[in-house]
Amino acid sequence: MAHPTQLGFQDAASPVMEELLHFHDHALMIVFLISALVLYIIVAMVSTKLTNKFILDSQEIEIVWTILPAVILVMIALPSLRILYLMDEINDPHLTIKAMGHQWYWSYEYTDYENLNFDAYMVPTQDLTPGQFRLLETDHRVVIPVESPIRILVSAEDVLHSWAVPSMGVKMDAVPGRLNQTALLASRPGVYYGQCSEICGANHSFMPIVIEAVPLPHFETWSANQLDFA
Amino acid sequence: MTDEGDKSQGMKVMGVLDIQNMPCARESILHGAGGSLVVGIVHFLATSRVKRSFDVGVAGFMLTTLGSWFYCRYNNAKLRVQQRMIQDGLKNKLIYEGTNLDPTRKKTGDQ
Repeated sequence: MAHPTQLGFQDAASPVMEELLHFHDHALMIVFLISALVLYIIVAMVSTKLTNKFILDSQEIEIVWTILPAVILVMIALPSLRILYLMDEINDPHLTIKAMGHQWYWSYEYTDYENLNFDAYMVPTQDLTPGQFRLLETDHRVVIPVESPIRILVSAEDVLHSWAVPSMGVKMDAVPGRLNQTALLASRPGVYYGQCSEICGANHSFMPIVIEAVPLPHFETWSANQLDFA
Repeated sequence: MTDEGDKSQGMKVMGVLDIQNMPCARESILHGAGGSLVVGIVHFLATSRVKRSFDVGVAGFMLTTLGSWFYCRYNNAKLRVQQRMIQDGLKNKLIYEGTNLDPTRKKTGDQ
């Protein structure tokens, strides 16, 4: 999860996020190298003795600084497009969960087999127990089985919201009257936090998302218990 | 004792670029440093121009690092794809063993 003074991404919890992390490292390394080169050139220009003031052009260097950036851009674009299409691959989801945005909470529906619905409100700061995270915990978590492709259908009941879980590389806008679909696969068990990512009113910052990825038997036990309570 | 937890953090440039733990980063930087040194020294030995040789060395560093980086990341990406295919294959084998969907099951003519 996120920690104070964090600059980079959170650890990946899904294959898509792993690929995004790798791509980010790739692009960032290129950016740092180019920035180092530009910095060097700036220092060299500032410290020059102002000889060769009347050079108008140089075919060789102009060819280099045209072709090299084009090659670099292609080397950035190829993995980028690969990930773009990877994220849109057709998979066979084992489970469908509907996430509905409200002002200011999320409601979830597991309707594949039985009707399992619940709302997830943020736990107020004064009600937190030691070890819980401020502005991130909810009273009910979205429990999903590990290593199972899941379809998430996102929509909203009132205004625009956005369902986002950074560690899984998932963000999907919740638009009233529209059903958006995204895919999710938790690589490992754990608890993953997200927050509403589209301004939706006074408590936009106070409607988090918590996903709890558990082994399949635990998920079955949880869903059976939820149905018993309902 | 207290260093054991720090090993995984690595050396981060600007707080984000983890050179120590990022695949291919350390090798690319080292290749770039070596290439820069070689190219710069060769140019200096050939021309005896210090500043220009330094410029050539920097250009050599850029090109060698980038070339090594692209080559290594491409191979790393292919390896990750193979790793994922193997993992999926193992998972499918475990789940579907003995059934019609067993990926290792030989197809017979009448099916």
